[in-house]
Parts: sequence; C-alpha cells; structure tokens
Amino acid sequence: MWENRCKIAVSGVGYSKVTRSAEIPLAAHALTAVKEAVADSGLQMSDIDGLATYPELPATGHAEVDGISIVSVNCMMAMLKLPNLTWHIQVGSVNIGGAVQQAVNALLAGVCKYAVVWRAMHNPRGTYQNLPSGNAAGATQFTAPYGFGGPGQGMAVAYTRWLERNGQSRDKMATLAVTQRKHTQHNPHAYFYGTPLSREDYFASRMVAYPFCLFDCDIPVQGAVAIVLTTADRARDLKPTPAYLAGYGERLKFEVAGRIGSLADYMEGGASSAKLTWERSGFGPKDVDVAQIYDGFSASVIYGLESYGFCREGEALDFIQDGRIELDGELPLNTFGGSLGTGRIHGLWHIIEGALQASGRAGSRQVKDVNVSFVGASAPIVTGTTFIFVKEPY
Amino acid sequence: MSDWSAVTRPIPVPNEWTKPFWDAAKRGVVELQRCQSCGHFQHPPYATCTQCVSTDLKFEPVRGAGTIYAYTIMYHTGDKRFASAVPYASIIVELDDAPGALMAGNLLDAEYTEAKVGRRVEVVFEKLNDDITLPQFRLALE
Ligand SMILES: [Zn+2]
Repeated sequence: MWENRCKIAVSGVGYSKVTRSAEIPLAAHALTAVKEAVADSGLQMSDIDGLATYPELPATGHAEVDGISIVSVNCMMAMLKLPNLTWHIQVGSVNIGGAVQQAVNALLAGVCKYAVVWRAMHNPRGTYQNLPSGNAAGATQFTAPYGFGGPGQGMAVAYTRWLERNGQSRDKMATLAVTQRKHTQHNPHAYFYGTPLSREDYFASRMVAYPFCLFDCDIPVQGAVAIVLTTADRARDLKPTPAYLAGYGERLKFEVAGRIGSLADYMEGGASSAKLTWERSGFGPKDVDVAQIYDGFSASVIYGLESYGFCREGEALDFIQDGRIELDGELPLNTFGGSLGTGRIHGLWHIIEGALQASGRAGSRQVKDVNVSFVGASAPIVTGTTFIFVKEPY
Repeated sequence: MSDWSAVTRPIPVPNEWTKPFWDAAKRGVVELQRCQSCGHFQHPPYATCTQCVSTDLKFEPVRGAGTIYAYTIMYHTGDKRFASAVPYASIIVELDDAPGALMAGNLLDAEYTEAKVGRRVEVVFEKLNDDITLPQFRLALE
C-alpha cells in the first residue's frame, strides 16, 4: 500500500454556470468556480498558495486564446494576485486528473498548503471538430483524408469492434444514457438539469457516428469547476467533511499517435492506471460503493468498467442493466449525471462527485453508506487517470 | 452508395517518417514500416519499433488483402467537405501480412451497411493529385 494513503483530501468544490454558448469570457467562469471552491472550504483567497490546471481546448481547428477559449495558470495568477502563492503547474499529458495528481504531490512535498485545481471548458462558435483545412499533417495524415475528425469517431470504431466481437447490441446503451440523465435531475449545476431523457428519446435520436447517436455524446458547453485540495490534517479543520485520497494511478500504456480504433489500447491503458490505484489504496473493484467513470462518449464507460476490473471484457453493457447503476443499485454510476448530463467539462467533475460521495455531501443524490468512492477521470486510452476517495481514513 | 465525387479530401503531408509510405502508394503499393530486428510491422510509422525499441526500421511491401478490424458510419460531418458523402463507412483494416498495424480507409464501391467487423477487404488506390495517392479499400472479390 501507498505510504501516503489518506494523507491528502479534497475539501471545497465550486461551479460556474454551465451555458451552451460563450456568453461571457471563459476566465469569468473559471474565476467563479475557484471563488466558490475556496468559499466552500471556509478559506480566504489569501490562504491559497497552489494552482494547477489542464487548460487544453479539445476542439480541433480553433485558436487557443487565454481567458477566452482556455484559462491557463498564468491567466488565473493574473486574476487572483495571490499574495502567498508558492507553487503552480499546468499539465499537458494526463488531462485534468494529472493536474490533480500533481497538486497532491506538491502538498505531500510540502511546497504548498492549499491547492486549487480548476477545469474551464470553452464551446467555440461553429463546428467543434474541424478537419485540417487543405492539408493533413502530422498524425492526422493517416486519418483526416478518410473523414476522421474528432476523438468521438476514434472511439466509435473501437466500439463497433467491441460490439461485434462480443455479439452485443448498442440498444443496451440506452440504459446508461437514461439512468445518467435521471441522476442529472439531482444536480442543479448540470446543463441537462430539468431535461429528462426517455428510452424512446434515445432510440429516436439522430445518428452521429455509428454506433454513437446524439445521446451517446456529451454536449459541448461553456463552464468551469474547481476543487480545493489540502493535507488531511488541515482538511479536518475546514468547513466540509474531507474526502480522503486513498490512492491514484495514471495510464502507463504507450500509444502511437495517429493509431486509431485499437480496442486493446483502451483496455491496456485503463488496466495500467487502475492497477496502480488498487495497489496503492489497498482496495479492489468489489470494495467500491460508488463509481464515477468518464463518459465524454458513452463507450468510454464500457472501456472503463472492463479495464478497471468491475466486470469482464465483453460484459459491460449487461453489467449496467437491471438497476445496478441506479442510486440504490449495486454500483451507482456517474451519480452527478456524468458528462452526458453536465455537458463537456471533462473529468474534474467526476473527481468532484467522487469526493462529494465519499464525504457524504452529495445531497439528494447521495448514495447510502459510502466509504469507497472510485473515479476514472478520463478516457482510459490517452490520458487516463483513476482515483479512490474514502470517508474513513483508515 | 456513398457518393465521393464532390468530396475534397484533406491532402496528407508526408514527413521524414512517413514519406516512404506515400512514395509507395503513388506506385500503387502498400509499404509498411517493419522492424529489422524482430520483424514487427507497424503503422503509423514511428521513430522506434514499438515492440523491441530497435531503430533499425525499413519499409517493406505488403499484400493489400486484409480484414475490417473496426469501423464507424459517419452521419454527422463537422467538416462540410464530406457532407455530400454521408452516410459513409470509415474503416480500420488489419492487413494479413501485418497483424497489429491498423490502417484507416473508406469502404468504397459498396453500401455502407456492408461494413462489418471481420469482412474481407482489399486495397485500391485513389489518386488525389500528382504527389499523393491514397490507399483505400473495397470488399474483396472472392
Ligand atoms: Zn522490433
């Protein structure tokens, strides 16, 4: 087990308004989320001495403009003018889960005391994924000429392989979309709060990239979320009940840029991250009381459930049936609605929910008797990270 | 059947790793990068062998016969240049001679509904301009 097990905790969390289009600059969303998270912790902004984010805009063919389409660490430093800042980082390779892990490491190293991590997501005007204009250079030269544009299509091809090799039907995915939308109705911050989804809606929706229909894809939105992390000792003196970090992991499997559609890449990526997390935390899949698994595209949940070890390969769509992922089910899943419910904010919201469930702060969607709360914070293939939060730091 | 006549495809830009692949395609041959130490074929080309880390890599011709490893049917085209072809099949092919080296393509000359995992396909070549010819696929003639 990890020597630093339960030495770091998530304290406060914060949200901006989530809107479909960019009505105000993204920087304002990020600032709101950060201020809320600090206030939720019962801290003053001057207490914050660490900053971390992953600022990437996952849309293709749009300019990255700081404060408008991304919110970098530099931008946040300029806005907050923190008098006691001692540490910051902006990660590139492991998505927002990597930023959280670096904040954990900085706290363990004692180079900061209260770190804020935010994720701000922009919805650009026009088409989200633009193929390269005239030319396809770099990794896209083997994919863009055939009409492969965004990550959704890459995930769709792995999904057809999974479906047909396992003799499965995409109809079973309706259960995921409908159940998560049900959970969303307990999350007033989510984009689809107040908008239920029926099985009929799912089956009637237009196809985007088979096997993905519209409701298999998270909707691009503008918004931001944030968390405060600190050491367990300090967290106990703050306002919220802490969610202790029992372990984390990151994807170790190498992936060749431009290689597309390999189901094995998802499975090996997820397994490598989960193995570290299980070993460090001392828990296994059977110990988990509630799970948040990244769902930017619905099939990501299949790859997560199977590669993390919650069910065997080829079984995930059967696993999610019969009420198992309901709030009172055997494995309540994406209890905040997931990205399919909140809109595309990436995995920090999954981490927030994992922490809220562990600390008993999830309100009307709180799962009963949670101790072990699992998070898979991005698609297992490229940027996968996994976390376990617990209520009791034993 | 998908109508590709009005589609203007993005033109691949060869680089130092990929140039031999595109040079071969222009001659109507599929050449994939092969490790000279362990014999492993890989695609897309990479700086090292992804199996044994050797840097002794050469492009070798392979036969164009293979199997659909995976596919998607495109209905939504973010890029309007492809709009006239929807719905169309974008496929991933594993060639018989190069297991594990996955090539993307479109399924040409067939209904998109013919795309299924495991279907036999063969390479055909689609000339984009004087410099670039694109390997593509159609159902194998039995
Ligand atoms: Zn080799």
